[in-house]
Amino acid sequence: MKKHKILVANRGEIALRIMQACLNLGHDFVAVYTEEDKESLHCRFAQEKGGEKSLFKISSYQDANEILAVADYSQATAIHPGYGFFAEDYRFARRVVTRSKPLIFIGPNWKIIKELGDKIQTKRLARKLDVPTVPGSDRPIYDELEAEELARDLFIFQKEQGIEHPVILIKASAGGGGMGIEEVGDMDRFRSVLRRLRNYAQRQFGNDGVLIEQRVFDFNHLEVQIVADRHGQVVHFGTRNCTIQSTGRQKRIEVAPGFYPKTINYAFDAQKVLQDIVKYSLRIAREVKYDNVGTWEWIVSPTGQPFLMEVNTRIQVENGVSAIISRVKGQEVNLIEEQIRLGLGEKLNYSQKDISFQGVGIEYRIIAESPEENFTPWVGTITRFSYPNYPWLQVFSHVPQDKPYEIPTDFDPNLALAIVWGKDLEEAKRHGLKFLEEVVLEGENKKGEKLKSNLNFLKAKTSEILVF
Amino acid sequence: MKTSNIKELLDKIKENPYKTIVVKTPHCGTIEFVVGEGEEVKGPRGKYKEQPGTLLAYLTRENNQKPLYAQERGIISKIYPFQKGDFVEANTPILEIKHYLTKEEVLELILKETLYLFRAPEKGKYYFVPEIDKRIKAKGCQKVKLHPGEEVLILSRMKRETFLPYEGPEGIIYHLYFKPGQSLNAEDILFGVCPPEDLESIKEVVLKVKSEWEEK
Repeated sequence: MKKHKILVANRGEIALRIMQACLNLGHDFVAVYTEEDKESLHCRFAQEKGGEKSLFKISSYQDANEILAVADYSQATAIHPGYGFFAEDYRFARRVVTRSKPLIFIGPNWKIIKELGDKIQTKRLARKLDVPTVPGSDRPIYDELEAEELARDLFIFQKEQGIEHPVILIKASAGGGGMGIEEVGDMDRFRSVLRRLRNYAQRQFGNDGVLIEQRVFDFNHLEVQIVADRHGQVVHFGTRNCTIQSTGRQKRIEVAPGFYPKTINYAFDAQKVLQDIVKYSLRIAREVKYDNVGTWEWIVSPTGQPFLMEVNTRIQVENGVSAIISRVKGQEVNLIEEQIRLGLGEKLNYSQKDISFQGVGIEYRIIAESPEENFTPWVGTITRFSYPNYPWLQVFSHVPQDKPYEIPTDFDPNLALAIVWGKDLEEAKRHGLKFLEEVVLEGENKKGEKLKSNLNFLKAKTSEILVF
Repeated sequence: MKTSNIKELLDKIKENPYKTIVVKTPHCGTIEFVVGEGEEVKGPRGKYKEQPGTLLAYLTRENNQKPLYAQERGIISKIYPFQKGDFVEANTPILEIKHYLTKEEVLELILKETLYLFRAPEKGKYYFVPEIDKRIKAKGCQKVKLHPGEEVLILSRMKRETFLPYEGPEGIIYHLYFKPGQSLNAEDILFGVCPPEDLESIKEVVLKVKSEWEEK
């Protein structure tokens, strides 16, 4: 195997996990950071484990020229985008592989990112392949009158379905990660919400196109983890349930597998739904010749009807919760290592029948925020952070444990990910609660007020895991 | 503010009428200096500042050679020890300019003592709400009158946005101390407001500074 030097074009815990994966695979790495992030553990890790010239300060994680200038100077051979930033930017992926000094992009081929990274294109493709999708627009809308007409049609359609209080969603077409989505319950409010959201979308994403969709109520949010190589092999690593979210629709707890019919009663055949969404996801992956890791996101209605929401053509935050329940030929698996290995062109070297699943995994996202106040981010300094050590526990965090850490305001206030495993759902939940009881997290803001975190929210929600 | 106080403040500034401007790299790249220590440099000129200042250095990244120009006039007091072709990271200090304060800068300092200063309540990026932003862009900030309780700014941090009401005396936005979208710390000054009853005395301050401060 050729030794590569991989530029990690990301920050925080995912940068740490990618660097560790590079070391495990025997590759070198180079990391980047911005001024606001200089205290992040990913900087310290890079300097300690990557040797001299393994860390570079850049003006922004979102400036492709910065990333590529550092890649050339440090003689990197590949770029790993992590999640967010350039992970789903096909222009960046295309530039990386087609420039005069080409590099390997650790992710799907840019053409696939272009095709599936666009929610609207994905919806059209899904409809062509008889994969169910949510009723609504399948292209971005920039015209207010057109948006209103579609919204009106969707209200009428829901009324015809017998939905007493129909609601539609306005989504920033360039948004993602739960940002830039608003609900409207009547046409009178539609125009003002549309204008506000378009202003927001223009500021945050530089594009004010919107999608208008039916709001499916009381749904569960499921995911299918796909892994594919550049030689035509496609497998799945099961399903996840990401229904426990903040009011802003950002994930807070992820669980694998997606449902648990062994001990929980569902109003539909849960096992069949899981099999169906895996089948549909693989159908699309094979059609587009998918060639790296990716996540197919689904919503499942209370009657067990699945709708494809979008495809995330990248590694997800929650990849570890699938990995913790998966075995390949009986061995543990690390999906970030798999992503790097396959991205560099190696063959999968196993098939679906070699993949087995054991037990239940739960991932908690520990965040400085106030769930009681609409999940408002908390700004301040972490003064104490520690957690226990158990064989069933993995914790990933860029927050130092040996000195105070001021949370940068330029990014989400994510502090840590904790992944617990149990041989069954009950044991996984017990482990989860034990961890949440034992983790120590303290801090203070400039006014001397104490840190606000979502730990109590995570504890309270543990009892609701996988219940539908 | 009394005229005597303004005189005192002016005298104090006159004792040390310089500030050191540290020029930093806006991004990564290879550096090549064009100026040397002790050289005099000029800032942008022309009615619309359409002529760039003195060329200080080139910063080359991805085959694009970016000229770095002086933003203010002064003397190059220090060049950091980089060789031609060295790779420099973003935000790295590369040289210093000893700059004699202009009338505008002196005025800005004195206005800070005179106007009601509206400060950033928290760390984050600040934008004017769209209606006020439009008015400022169309007519200038001094045509925008603020009332207490009126929503004036959007605070953006951690990808969330909060609307901020103006708290302070009624008045016009006399001077802006930030650029919309810039990252600010808590307590940084956003803008200065002049209540209508103080408008005349502020005009006097402006006149006094303009007549007393000699630019070099």
